[in-house]
Amino acid sequence: MSASVIELSQIEKDYPGVKPLDKVDFAVRPGEIHALLGENGAGKSTLIRVMGGVTKPNSGTMTYLGKPVSWQSPKEARAAGIHVIHQELALFPELSVAENILVDTQPRGMFGLISNRARHVRAAEILAQLGVDIPTHAKIDELPLADQQMVEIAKALVGRVRLLILDEPTAVIAGREVDLLFENMRRLRNEGVGIVYVSHRLEEIFEIADTVTILKDGQLVGTSPVSALTREEMITRMVGRRLSQIYPPRRTAPAGGRDVLTVRNLKAGPRVRDVSLNVKVGEIVGVAGMVGSGRTEVAEAIFGTRAVESGGIEFDGKPFETKLPKGSIAHGLGFLTESRKDDGLFLGLPISANIVAPDLDGITKHGLIDRKQERAVAMRQIQDFSVATPSPDVKIGNLSGGNQQKVLFSRWSRIASRLLILDEPTRGVDIGAKVEIYRIVRRLADSGVGVLMISSELPEIVGLSDRVFVMAQGYVVGEIKCDALGEEAIMELAVRSVGHREAETDQRAEPVG
Amino acid sequence: MMVPLDTPMPRSQSISMASVFERYGLMIFLVVLMTVAALASPTFLRPANLVNVLTIAAPLGMVVVGQTFVILVRGLDLSVASLMATVAVLATAFKATTNEAIPMIFIAAIALSAVVGLVNGWLVAKRNVSPFLATLAMMIILQGIRFAYTGGAPISTLPPGMGFLASGRIFGVPVNLITLAFLAIAFGIVLHRSRLGREIFMVGSNPKAAFLNGVAPDRVVILCYVICSVCAGIGGLFLLGYVGTVSNWVGQGYELDSIVAAVMGGVALTGGRGNIFAALLGVAVLVVINNLVLLLGFPIEMQLIIKGVIIIGAAAFYRTRLA
Repeated sequence: MSASVIELSQIEKDYPGVKPLDKVDFAVRPGEIHALLGENGAGKSTLIRVMGGVTKPNSGTMTYLGKPVSWQSPKEARAAGIHVIHQELALFPELSVAENILVDTQPRGMFGLISNRARHVRAAEILAQLGVDIPTHAKIDELPLADQQMVEIAKALVGRVRLLILDEPTAVIAGREVDLLFENMRRLRNEGVGIVYVSHRLEEIFEIADTVTILKDGQLVGTSPVSALTREEMITRMVGRRLSQIYPPRRTAPAGGRDVLTVRNLKAGPRVRDVSLNVKVGEIVGVAGMVGSGRTEVAEAIFGTRAVESGGIEFDGKPFETKLPKGSIAHGLGFLTESRKDDGLFLGLPISANIVAPDLDGITKHGLIDRKQERAVAMRQIQDFSVATPSPDVKIGNLSGGNQQKVLFSRWSRIASRLLILDEPTRGVDIGAKVEIYRIVRRLADSGVGVLMISSELPEIVGLSDRVFVMAQGYVVGEIKCDALGEEAIMELAVRSVGHREAETDQRAEPVG
Repeated sequence: MMVPLDTPMPRSQSISMASVFERYGLMIFLVVLMTVAALASPTFLRPANLVNVLTIAAPLGMVVVGQTFVILVRGLDLSVASLMATVAVLATAFKATTNEAIPMIFIAAIALSAVVGLVNGWLVAKRNVSPFLATLAMMIILQGIRFAYTGGAPISTLPPGMGFLASGRIFGVPVNLITLAFLAIAFGIVLHRSRLGREIFMVGSNPKAAFLNGVAPDRVVILCYVICSVCAGIGGLFLLGYVGTVSNWVGQGYELDSIVAAVMGGVALTGGRGNIFAALLGVAVLVVINNLVLLLGFPIEMQLIIKGVIIIGAAAFYRTRLA
């Protein structure tokens, strides 16, 4: 066995109140693809930041290429041959592909000035090495996301890379691009580069990785060859409990009776072409599909923040035409949006104000806020949803992601007496909070609320939904009933339909063009 | 082979100290300033001087009450000073020599201010013009209208009662302070107790989330600009009473002073955070500094330098607090 590229021993990182890394050992050998697994908040990102020189650990040692090191800056780590590709791409959208690839090492020409010609030649070489065909003069923001990802990877190949760290690189790419990425990863592996690979998609880990290290709550669960573990074992180690304990039991009798929401042939903008679906009283209906398949846009059209071109939305059997969220809220509709920070929370305001936000009517008397009542409502919701906070006056920005999400649930479930739309309800929360949220959703449904749940996490869709609609490119391409529910069935529909639709669109486009 | 990495950071203690400082920092600063002033010059604590300081502070305080509303919804209003001068010119336009005209003057001033605020708010909320540009343009337009009317010459045809606004007293308390207190409490209740106030904080904190929670952000933003202009208009009348004659530059500098005072008082330029009464404390700090410079016999230019240094200090203080 050859010596490690990097070896971390007993690494610890402390922040006030949290300990993202607790005595973690981690080593990557040259020519190895080493998967790093763990739920959100398990410490993967912190570990990556430590290796990349962004974060300094409080204690522990790090050995790189046989020498003890303590990075003072990301620059130092990069100069030594460690390249990190973060989840959020670190590209300059206004600059060209070539300028981005050679951002750290601009080639010099006469008089020490940057040579534009040399830059494009060198960038083209690197891209050719990767096997992708991207024009070096193109601006980054003109490129599709997958190409941007490739540019990011090309950046890693500029210098001598010894350790390549990829943090969820496949979150934004699919199909052929993933194959291309894996091809390049294998090539680098054969050249002796050590690769750390973070992904939530277990299938990918089985396909590409040699070794897997699992983290949980900042602690090392274990490291082993990928071939030694089954999928089930990986999940069990990652979440610390068996899958069957994560999701609440489905309702014994299938939801019967009336539709609370009926959508017929909805058309609303380029992402919603033809959508029909329904939610019954007390039912959890999942909406699956790729990112960009139009799921969020459907929710927006129902809630009244996106203009409807044609088709019908019926609410409790009556035509429902909302122009504003205000009207939807008054009808007992709630919408838990995808991005907690961007359009959900009032970060600088107290928890109580966040809870009562859509229901100011309920706490207003003669134009003034009844603070006593507001507090009482907030206290009750905090207790019901077991939000961990000493007081409702704490600013919501100070809570953890999971607790913030529980506050949002407590906000919407209070006013959503008929229908609750959830868009990625467990994004960025740890497994403990997830389990609680799943119970909350089931409890709401059991109390008679219809739930429409959009999620990119297939296990969540499969584990929680009573029925699932699959969307692709603005169309509902299939409905899967409870007994046929499975990740494979959903994926097959979502992927197959994409190809099908593409062919169809091409045919239709031709006579016009 | 083993290299120890840096030691764990200390915690908890420094955090609580910081929060005490955050809450009472400005008040402590004001007390320190006043102590320095009292030690530096025996004149400072004399009732006559203190009343003088407060009298100067009152019109600025009125402007700050309004400015706070606008800053809370992520805006700022550069047209307040120009509006003050324009209101003053408007007051002379009645060519009144008796006090019967005073109510008319007030009504006209408030009406003009409300229209100015509506236009500012409409531009910002409905046309997406940046607050900086919209109110800067408004400042210039008002200036032009004013100059066109006065031809540049100062006017002093005013009802004699206008002077009462500046120097008059009721039960020994200056009228302008009573008015400021009334405005501050009334708008303080609106901001910190009423439903509208809650909507203002929601819009300032996250306009998109506010909309999704059933609030109409545009309406709220426009209202804030109207409140700001009306406060500035009233401030203009009181300042006019203090100055006595109307030049085209009454109130010059109040736009920046009002923003500085509010920011020193902890009203965040990023919106959604602040308190009217803390902003008024910022006014107190500002006028005490000005007074101190005068009492110490420094050249008036020192006011500007010290003011600038304090703005930077305040900004840096709130910046680190957020980090």
